[in-house]
Amino acid sequence: MIRRLVVLMLLVGGAVLLEPLRAPTEGVIAPRSLFLFGILLLTADTFGALAHDLRVPRLLGYLVAGLALGPSVAGIVPAGVLDDLGMMKRLAVGLIAVLAGAELRLADLRQRGRVIATILVLQTAFVLVAVIATTLLSSRWIPFLDGISGSPAFFVALLFAVMLTVNSPMVTLALLTEAGARGPLARTTLGVVLVADVVVILLFTGSFSLAQASLGGAAAGAPQIMAQLLWEVLKAVLAGVVIGSIMSLYLHFVKRELVVFAVVVVFATAGAAEALHFELLLTLVIAGFLVENVAPVRAEPLVETLHQAAIPVFVVFFAMTGAELRVQEFVGFWPVVVGLVLVRMVAIYTSGRLGGRWAGAEEPVTRYGWTGLVPQAGVALGLATTVADRLPGIGVPMQTLTVGIIALNQALGPILFRRGLERAGEVTIQ
Amino acid sequence: MQTTLAALAVITVGYILAYLVFDRLRDRFGYVGGAEYVFIGFLLGPRITGLLGAEQVQDLTPIVSLALGWLGMLLGTYFRLPTMATIEASHLRIAFSEALITFGCALGALLALFHSLLGYPWPEATVQAVTLAAVATLSSSAAIDAVSRKAGQVAPIFPVLQLTARIDALVGVAAFGLLLAVFHLGQVSLEVRPPTATEWAVINLAVGVASGVLFHLFLGPRGHLHEVEGNSRLFVALAGAIVVASGASYYLNLSPIFTNLVLGFILANSGSAHRDVTRLLLNTERPVYLALLIFAGAAWSPSSPELLFVAPLFVLVRLGARFLGGWTAGAVIAPPELRTPKLGRALLAQGGIAVALAVNYTQVRPDLNADVILTATLVSVLLFDIVASREIGQVVGRTTSSSGLERKEEHVAEPLRQ
Repeated sequence: MIRRLVVLMLLVGGAVLLEPLRAPTEGVIAPRSLFLFGILLLTADTFGALAHDLRVPRLLGYLVAGLALGPSVAGIVPAGVLDDLGMMKRLAVGLIAVLAGAELRLADLRQRGRVIATILVLQTAFVLVAVIATTLLSSRWIPFLDGISGSPAFFVALLFAVMLTVNSPMVTLALLTEAGARGPLARTTLGVVLVADVVVILLFTGSFSLAQASLGGAAAGAPQIMAQLLWEVLKAVLAGVVIGSIMSLYLHFVKRELVVFAVVVVFATAGAAEALHFELLLTLVIAGFLVENVAPVRAEPLVETLHQAAIPVFVVFFAMTGAELRVQEFVGFWPVVVGLVLVRMVAIYTSGRLGGRWAGAEEPVTRYGWTGLVPQAGVALGLATTVADRLPGIGVPMQTLTVGIIALNQALGPILFRRGLERAGEVTIQ
Repeated sequence: MQTTLAALAVITVGYILAYLVFDRLRDRFGYVGGAEYVFIGFLLGPRITGLLGAEQVQDLTPIVSLALGWLGMLLGTYFRLPTMATIEASHLRIAFSEALITFGCALGALLALFHSLLGYPWPEATVQAVTLAAVATLSSSAAIDAVSRKAGQVAPIFPVLQLTARIDALVGVAAFGLLLAVFHLGQVSLEVRPPTATEWAVINLAVGVASGVLFHLFLGPRGHLHEVEGNSRLFVALAGAIVVASGASYYLNLSPIFTNLVLGFILANSGSAHRDVTRLLLNTERPVYLALLIFAGAAWSPSSPELLFVAPLFVLVRLGARFLGGWTAGAVIAPPELRTPKLGRALLAQGGIAVALAVNYTQVRPDLNADVILTATLVSVLLFDIVASREIGQVVGRTTSSSGLERKEEHVAEPLRQ
């Protein structure tokens, strides 16, 4: 381990030596970005191995590596480099979304539908109620509620609470892949977080419109909100059906070079999503789901290929996510951040235990199901950015606080979930 | 919305049709290329559907650099010294003479084309001519391996062909790497004296050597990483190493393929991780090559009228140089038992490194006929890939009829690999 860390330091030193041999250039992706991307990958891999030695999930190592090299700490990988590498992150998100969709089996959903629905409904309700209540009761310490009261404060708190209901399909899938877990706890958690991903988009759009209207912004009426919601979902579903059909045709006629095919599909879908403004993650989850469950083709080769490519993809995603965290922005609010993380965790714990018991789930699901619902990552960060962009007055402080909460959940969640999987006896890869 | 989704559907149907056509070629001629991937890249790119716009094509640079470096590193791992020491001297003589004569002939003809016919000044003509001569010299062992596998039996000439293909690639990549160092483009910081051409060449080599030594240390001297953590971890470490080395080369406007060739050479000759590294690189060679073809298709934007005759002329030049180099090496230099006057016909396939060189050229010298170089390379690669297997079969058929067949088990081992 020390040897690898020394090599990394020598590489960074070498980069400093080479610095004067080229004048700065602009335009295309900066060659420096490429070099630093390589350093990021190697550091993430090293920290992942270190995390593994410390018996915590590797993805935590990837996150810490990104954080350590990113603008918040060492600044070796500056923000501009992360912008340059945005396409790599989209590729990672896309590949994992297809895999996540394909992992969602219709038979499992039928068999575990009741458990998944119960836990999901209770989790959403408990987190919303607990976070709204806490936020309103402690409004004097909440930066984005400064000067707001009455119904606007309620709707803003609702919007904030919706962002805290978000789980992380990426973290869940990464941990399940790392642990080789395929038991009831793994399947239930994956089902809940993936379905929650759809639900949260609807909730977010609705609560955003309400908050916007209550703050006096240009808001649409209820029918328009509903129409917009349905259109957003419909676009993603339609695109998912088209992409799923394309994948099925390919698996039927060609069946070769599946890694290349998956990469091309993700890039093409990302291009289309950018042009047509639909949600990449949801579209590809639907596409993966359709290929696995509806299309008259064998999806195993594709799923197997994606599994093989999963670890490098996770390294890229989590290292970049870690590098994008701006720790210094929320460090001043740490008591509020810690308080809200605890409130959210208690709400998730209670809903998980109650939901499992009411729906008659297996004992491990009832006892440890909640652990898989704690992690948060990309989707929640994306929503926080949307709020900051569109409602700058309250959005920026809300984003700062949300990012702090996500960072803590990102750190604690994987450890808890890994422990839950171990206790449930579902870890097959040590 | 409908337009974009329709474009996706058109691309899919177009690709599947192209695949089926080329699949027939695979069955009939043993075709090993990937023309359909260039086609899908072109369809996706800014010229046709624009699903991958010019900016997004640029955003793919990390993947492309990974692909370029990957192929360079794989080439480097072929040259493992303990294995090379067992190769017969006559084989090496044939391989090097074939590669150098082919390169020299192609260079002469292309210099005449660019300087005398098209009127470019010497420096610009030299840059283009050396690049295309390097591309012309390259030959791929994939088709040779495929024919060897299909035949189940091997002629004595097979190891020579495989060695020659690798030496061709070595000469081509080294020439291109040297070209980018000698005709270096880009300014250095004001505090330092601009390095001379020789210094750039040394820097180019030094980046590769330093990367090789560092990643030898990073991977561990006893292949520790692979045994304990599996292929995926090794993949991440290798990808990181290649991206770092490629990034350093890009930063200095040098060739990442050459840098990674040196890196691969050092990894192959140090420690015991070389087997895992080589196996992983080989397993992923085809997806990497195809990804490169897709990118080449997406980045391909033919517009210059010179394309109309440079590409066909380049194909003819390559054919002539290959035949001449093959004849000299196979008929004049080869010992009687390996005499193969039509050696060049068995070395027509170009493969991934050729596309890699052309793509690298478009990134480093976008100002100097990048389209012409890319088009000529793609046309040549796709065309020769179609006929390569049949030509190898005919050459080997002739050789085996005169020398007799030997069992595959005795000779099938690739000459430079343990």
